[in-house]
Amino acid sequence: MRGAGFVLDLGRCVGCGACVLGCRLSNAWPAGVSWRRIVPFNLDRRGGGPTYHLSLSCHHCERPACVNACPAGAYTKRSDGVVVLNEERCIGCRYCEMACPFDAPSYDGAAGVMTKCHLCSERIDSRLQPACVAACPTEALTFRGRNGVEREKEPVPGFSDPAGCAPSLDFIPPRRAKRSHLYERLREVLKR
Amino acid sequence: MIVTVRSGRITAIEGDPLNPATAGRVCLKGLSYADRITAADRITTPLRRRSGGAGFERVDWDSALDDIAARLERLRSESGPSSVLYYEGSGSHGALSVLSDAFWNPFGGPTRTHGDLCWPAGLEAGRLTYGANLHSHPRLTVESRFILMWGHNPAETNIHQMRLILEAQEKGAVVAVVDPRSTDTSDAADIHVQPRPGTDTALALGLANVIVEAGLHDEAYLSRHATGVGEYLARAREFPPERVGAITGIDPEGIRELALAYGRTRPALLIAGFGLQRHSHAGQTMRAVALLPALTGNVGVPGGGWQYANLASHQLRPPPLPPAPQGPPRSILAARLGRGILDCADPRIRAAWIEKANPVSQHPSTASVVRGLETLDLLVVVDQFMTDSARLAHYVLPAKSMFEQEDLVTAYWHPYLQLRRRILAPPGQVKAESEIWRLLCVRFGFETNFFAADPRETLRAMLPEGKADLLESLESEPVDPSGNGELLWRDGVFPTPSGKIEFASPEAARLWGVDPVPDYVALEEGHESARAGRHPLQLLTCKTRERIHSQFGNLEWIRQVERPRRLDIHPADARARGLSDGDAAQVWNDRGSVRVKVHLDPGIRPGVVHVIEGRCVPEDPEMNRLIGDGVTDMNFGAVFYECLVEVSKP
Repeated sequence: MRGAGFVLDLGRCVGCGACVLGCRLSNAWPAGVSWRRIVPFNLDRRGGGPTYHLSLSCHHCERPACVNACPAGAYTKRSDGVVVLNEERCIGCRYCEMACPFDAPSYDGAAGVMTKCHLCSERIDSRLQPACVAACPTEALTFRGRNGVEREKEPVPGFSDPAGCAPSLDFIPPRRAKRSHLYERLREVLKR
Repeated sequence: MIVTVRSGRITAIEGDPLNPATAGRVCLKGLSYADRITAADRITTPLRRRSGGAGFERVDWDSALDDIAARLERLRSESGPSSVLYYEGSGSHGALSVLSDAFWNPFGGPTRTHGDLCWPAGLEAGRLTYGANLHSHPRLTVESRFILMWGHNPAETNIHQMRLILEAQEKGAVVAVVDPRSTDTSDAADIHVQPRPGTDTALALGLANVIVEAGLHDEAYLSRHATGVGEYLARAREFPPERVGAITGIDPEGIRELALAYGRTRPALLIAGFGLQRHSHAGQTMRAVALLPALTGNVGVPGGGWQYANLASHQLRPPPLPPAPQGPPRSILAARLGRGILDCADPRIRAAWIEKANPVSQHPSTASVVRGLETLDLLVVVDQFMTDSARLAHYVLPAKSMFEQEDLVTAYWHPYLQLRRRILAPPGQVKAESEIWRLLCVRFGFETNFFAADPRETLRAMLPEGKADLLESLESEPVDPSGNGELLWRDGVFPTPSGKIEFASPEAARLWGVDPVPDYVALEEGHESARAGRHPLQLLTCKTRERIHSQFGNLEWIRQVERPRRLDIHPADARARGLSDGDAAQVWNDRGSVRVKVHLDPGIRPGVVHVIEGRCVPEDPEMNRLIGDGVTDMNFGAVFYECLVEVSKP
């Protein structure tokens, strides 16, 4: 069984960035730190388009590289799958930053420690949505509990798992008419 | 918005779940207020330009206002009150802004501005056609089966509307976009056509041509609820797809397909963007486009109709104010602010007070705006941040933020009037604008009773007749004060002179000297003009989600998610000029030259280039230097999207 994670609907995300600022507001990360970002893909419109957006944070992987890389034992994977970082145990060595292929851990230079998305574990423990999900104006970003259904098996162009971490992020591909057609064509173009 | 404050800092911002238009969500600009309120560069004390002109020094309110009042009084006695220009924009606007007249009326009436930069041509076109600028409740969008967005990009400019459109699409609606650019909105669409900028009147008449040829117009509806249809149909017959294809640069087959898809599917909703009306024939373009929902019988139908502006919440009355001076004020065109200041004589404009606006950044013809403001003996700018305009001022007075004074705000898409609560004390020496006006009144010996100690008294006096208890309702939820209901124009009665939808508008001809039936006229600065020989590319400067014009771009939070301002240019156009992705390029015409980095964009129509508008920080390109200060055919709008340029290597 896979742990909890985010689900991103590629047909609904327009890359507006409200998730990024919603996270920042709720988790009060300082300047220079980033727990979530928008990565636009296919800006050069291969296959005729479309451009779409990946809203990415920590993926709370099934095999998290950060947990193994940390010499201080600051990382734990909770029973629901959420990967949390205990900043008090962090020694600021930044090994996790090097190990994580998704740039999820973010160094807080002022505090001298790593920081990272914890899937708003306190919020989800009290049955609230993660802050980024609550902020998403188009309801493109949703939260899947650990018993949630897996969606897309096919690899999503612009997103890969180079270190075999098995991220818990799921994607819903574009479903409608032209956009779905262009998305499939883009996959074909990229395979060649 | 529901905002949580702890020890003077914003710790949470959520959408109001009781507002059905937003479904309890906030856009990223709304979220960035957590940064904006306490931003390190926020101006929190009055500032005075140092003698010699270099930089500013802090000054206390009494010294600032004593000096400003003395200088205004001297100008008034030497040159008369109209030697002072009062210009207010709409940044941080609220109902209490009207209190400035408690000063300006007894002052004797300054020179004012008319028209605006944003949307007036479309408003006038909507009024002439339907009698009022109203539309059905946004939530009816999801009942649509066909959504045609024309020059509209809600993925950037109305994220809440984008949610409704995606929802309608998921329920089966076909989404079509008319836009020379590819956008996140057009990427979500099922149909995308890309006309040459400024040819939309021809495209609208071409769609009408195909719709009528195919018998898809609603004759029964038209015979009961419309006038001038015969003249309009005659005009549409002049625009077969082949001719329209030649004008717009769209394949005639694509025109037929769009027309048939729109004409055959009901209910169909047509949403026009403001960008569609930023050229010199904009009013007629908007009339032509606005008539399509009427032609197809989509008006008054749930999920159908015409959306441009919804002024349902604009029901406020002026509060008690001292009497205005006799006769109309002297007024200059907002769209031509720089030239207006420079050209005024008897008396010439010697001082300006600018509030909620940043004309140096946002008005066309930057050079003339700067020249105009630099000629002044006194320039006072009220703002939260050191803008391009504030930098030219003699005095910069700190402005409150929207959380620092209770006020009422109206909307232009959803129908709700909203009460903005005071949840924070203004920081530092910041005063609400109404308090600045009151203090000036004190210095001039004018009546100050119009400034109630509790702004709620003023706000209550502004509520619609018989609705004095509305403020208390607004404390808990937004209210539609119009009583129009969710579905507009259901009864088919329109507040036009004829009581019907006016396909031919004698009023348009009388007021604006245009053809009563919209006709296509090529732009003076369009692809067919003589200018196009030297400057063949049409420049668009569209809006973006991260900013409202020159606001927000200074914030560290916004800069974290903001995209760079680059020149979007088709690879073929770039190649022809020896430019590659990332190169520095010079964008120029006879008005000026601006350096911008190239971004190859295969999705933009060849012959069109684009840079995001809104100059906020010094590294942003000053695209308005290239744009002329022409005026729209109706209602005094600016013509931002009628600008030819050439692009070359620096």
